[in-house]
Amino acid sequence: MASINLPEQQKKGESDMDAIVKVTNLKKYYGNGEALVKALDGVDLEIERGKFTAIVGTSGSGKSTLLNMLGGLDVPSEGSVRIGNQELARLTAEQATIFRRKQIGFIFQNYNLVPVLTVWENIIFPISLDARKPDRKFIMEIVNLLGLESKLDSFPNQLSGGQQQRVAIARALATKPSIILADEPTGNLDSRTSDGVISLLRVTSEQFHQTIVMITHNPEIAAHADRVVHIEDGRIVADAS
Amino acid sequence: MITVISKRTFQRNRGRNLVAVLAIVLTTLMFTTLFVLSESMNQNMIEMTFRQTGYDAQVSFKSITEEQAAKLATHPDVAEVGNSIVVGLAQDRLVAGRQVEIRWADESYAKHSFALPVTGRMPETEDEIALDTMVLDRLGISHELGMQVTLQWMADFRSKEMRTSTFTLCGFWEANENSYASMAWVSREFADRTVDSIGGADVETGMGAHMAQVSLCQDKDIDNSMERILSDLGMSGLEYGVNLAYSPEMNRMAAQEKLPMYLGMILVFAAGYLIIYNIFQISVTADIQFYGRLKTLGTTKKQLKKLIYMQAGRLCLVGIPIGLVLGYVLGAVLVPVLITFQAGSVSASPVIFIGSALFAGLTVLVSCMRPARIAGKVSPMEALRYHEASQIGRSRKKRQGSASLMALAWSNLGRNRKRTVTVICSLTLGLTLMSCFYAKNASFDMEKYLEGLTIADYQIDEITSEDYMTGYDPQGNTLEGELLGLVESMEGLEQVGHLYSHETQIALSEQTIENIEQFYTDDILASWASYDPTGVETLRDAIGEKQARSVVYGIDGIPLDVYSGEAYWENGSFDEALFATGEYVLAIGPGMEPGIQEQNMPTVSVGDKVDIEGRQYTVMAVLNNLQPVTEGAYEGGVQNAFYLDFVMPAKTFKENWADNTLRKLYFNVDDDGIDEAQNELDDYFRHTGLTLPVTSRKSMAAQYDKETRSAAVMGNAVSIVIALVGVLNFVNSMVTAIVSRQKEFAMIQSVGMTKTQLCKLLVYEGLDYAGLTLIVTYAFSAVAVGVGVRAMVEGGYTTFHFTLLPLLLCTPLLLAFAVVIPYLCFKNLEKDSLVERLRTTG
Repeated sequence: MASINLPEQQKKGESDMDAIVKVTNLKKYYGNGEALVKALDGVDLEIERGKFTAIVGTSGSGKSTLLNMLGGLDVPSEGSVRIGNQELARLTAEQATIFRRKQIGFIFQNYNLVPVLTVWENIIFPISLDARKPDRKFIMEIVNLLGLESKLDSFPNQLSGGQQQRVAIARALATKPSIILADEPTGNLDSRTSDGVISLLRVTSEQFHQTIVMITHNPEIAAHADRVVHIEDGRIVADAS
Repeated sequence: MITVISKRTFQRNRGRNLVAVLAIVLTTLMFTTLFVLSESMNQNMIEMTFRQTGYDAQVSFKSITEEQAAKLATHPDVAEVGNSIVVGLAQDRLVAGRQVEIRWADESYAKHSFALPVTGRMPETEDEIALDTMVLDRLGISHELGMQVTLQWMADFRSKEMRTSTFTLCGFWEANENSYASMAWVSREFADRTVDSIGGADVETGMGAHMAQVSLCQDKDIDNSMERILSDLGMSGLEYGVNLAYSPEMNRMAAQEKLPMYLGMILVFAAGYLIIYNIFQISVTADIQFYGRLKTLGTTKKQLKKLIYMQAGRLCLVGIPIGLVLGYVLGAVLVPVLITFQAGSVSASPVIFIGSALFAGLTVLVSCMRPARIAGKVSPMEALRYHEASQIGRSRKKRQGSASLMALAWSNLGRNRKRTVTVICSLTLGLTLMSCFYAKNASFDMEKYLEGLTIADYQIDEITSEDYMTGYDPQGNTLEGELLGLVESMEGLEQVGHLYSHETQIALSEQTIENIEQFYTDDILASWASYDPTGVETLRDAIGEKQARSVVYGIDGIPLDVYSGEAYWENGSFDEALFATGEYVLAIGPGMEPGIQEQNMPTVSVGDKVDIEGRQYTVMAVLNNLQPVTEGAYEGGVQNAFYLDFVMPAKTFKENWADNTLRKLYFNVDDDGIDEAQNELDDYFRHTGLTLPVTSRKSMAAQYDKETRSAAVMGNAVSIVIALVGVLNFVNSMVTAIVSRQKEFAMIQSVGMTKTQLCKLLVYEGLDYAGLTLIVTYAFSAVAVGVGVRAMVEGGYTTFHFTLLPLLLCTPLLLAFAVVIPYLCFKNLEKDSLVERLRTTG
């Protein structure tokens, strides 16, 4: 069971404890002169395979910027981001897009579901963009775990916020990515639903040995993680396992 | 999956689709109509040229033996050979002015000459004849088989012997009005007997000659194929003529005729592009977050572009067929209006449909290119927090004090500069074009135009006056007695004028020859020779022999009054009292620009004497050649000598040549009597069975309208359509500007803007839009009309008036749109509650 979910490197017999993400001296500056904003100011970070990592910080601390950098959505001013064996800065925009849909699963605060697609279609969307055949059995496993069986033919606007976020989690897992990046996944949900979603995230990460990086400003949510990285003013100020 | 998204997004964008489909339908419609018009124009022009040359075979032989013709028909490259023998020309007074050729012909020849009887058949026995409807009408014979037809005709042009024959009508057909000649088919027996009676074929006039028309299997390179055929058959050297309609000249002319169509297509393309581009641009901008989201999920640039193109393709699938059908219908309606040829048929060539569909598709494709690129290039980062305001960027001034609604509206306009510019450009283009077409048409001065063609309300000519075949008969008697009495007793008659003419020979003085040689420089002669080499020959002969032919006109009344106008004098001046003494004549110069000329005109100098049939006259002035006076046939038919013409008072003329009858009668009636005069003339012609050439101011004006209608309708249609596209663009962009900002409006409402204020804000925005457009349009149109159109209509039959009437008419329309559309959109917006609108996330 587990073998199908493990990233390829692992199958090649590499160590279980190697870093799936390696960030070196990452800097991101916006504007110039007096208006210069140092969103990230020299971040070094390694994230281990199969771990659930939370990045916390106040708003404006640079945590969202860091996440976008990890996902290849934004280009660093300096430093490097390596996912698996791939240095992100080496990719063209088009290559980055393709890398993203194969290797990275995203979970957004506002779910980012495609409104014109059904739940099932949303889940298999990144796979079909690659013109691949979805692994139906594996995806149904995820769907069952997330309790979405009865909603597969619904459209996103027919679902509650919690349900929508569960669809987004399913979508992120469906491509068997190297890493899942979650940006305030519970930001739009009430606390009870939030707990549910986070537990599910936790459970699925264990079940499928999935590496998850989540940013949040909520310490309670962060408490669910294996490791909590605290970021302020573009620098890592605390790192606790 | 892209297909699924494309399909479902498509279904959601009902409003945009409707506008886009409408725009595509409109674009396709215009392309199709233009194609139908140009194809039909082409087809009809070829048909028309065939009819003008009188036949549609490729090659004709004016003289060939029957055996040679039969031999030609056996060649594999020859499709058909038609035979004919001309035996004479009808000479009846009633058919004067039209050449009626009495001929034998086989069916092939008749068919290719547009003269195969439609009712009845070709003649078989000696007393049978087949005629066209025009000749039957002239002769006053009803269109019925078996009618008796008596013709006066001439076979032998050497002895000028008149013959009279009576035939039975065995067939008739609709006359070919584009040709100068009508065919009167007789039997072979009759033809052979006539040829025998004149002692064989007459080479000079072509009477009795055996003729043939040859249709080849293909149209290309006719000269070479014909040479080859003749040499194959061992008949090289036989003279033949190639149908003018097949000459490369014709193709070039046809291409020229199509030029406005090509121009129209470029305009349609531009107009179509502007609107379709705008629709997609707006739609992509509004959905940019959606595309950004797809991109974060890993949709590539290519896939995003495909998404846009697929939607465009879907819209085309609906729009283009509708446009094709509507366009063809519109084209079919317009063809008879615009094409004034006898045979106005509507082309159904597949080129029309394939071409229009391709052009329309291309327009849509090109229109989508930029929006597709925008969607493809969307950065996932920006898309996640994208809103229109991020486009402002530069030069944002700090607003002082309170944000008044007006100022807010104005700054909102600047939020999407590109869209604003596109819409304003599109509207300005349409309205400016419309103003220009209107101003150009309005500057046409019918009076100026008619002046060159007619000098009186009515002009009636003697029937032989324009008989270029047999020539003018100075003793012709069709313009006399009853008709003159009728005109003179007409109600509201204001003025009459008479014209007589006499042809004679005059001697040229040294001074006159010098004048001629100075005027006709080598350059002028060379260009003259290029289209009329015999004309130059006659001039040289005249100088050599110091002799010229001369038409002497005797005029009084209307033409004399016209000549007293200074604009018609080329040399010297006209004194009416002195002229009336009969001691003076006026010389007619070449047609020049109005006004006194610096150099001497190529005729007798002012003040010199000229001897006309033994009597001496002094030349008082040289006058401009005025068509309504000098137009007409020479007494010998065609011009084959150099002429110097003179004008003397009608009274003096009658003293000299008492036997000459009236050639032209001019008369003016007051405005109330114009139609009545026409009726009286029609009545007269009906009961006498004689039709004289009548030129009326009114019919000339109508003729002009008919001839220029096509250009006028096209011009107006194109500019109206472009203006329409502009308005559509304007409406579309205003609607989307409002609809796509629902959330923003909800936000400003939630912080305290009242409904009335919001509605006001939207209306102000609309008014700003309209105002800006109008200012730009007025400025552009004023320059275009004031400078461009003024220069364009310079000269010609025009009087320039500065006018922006179409703009003035459009102004309230635009302003009304600017108020009504925001209001309606606002009403629509109000349906959803504030909370609902706030919650809807992009």
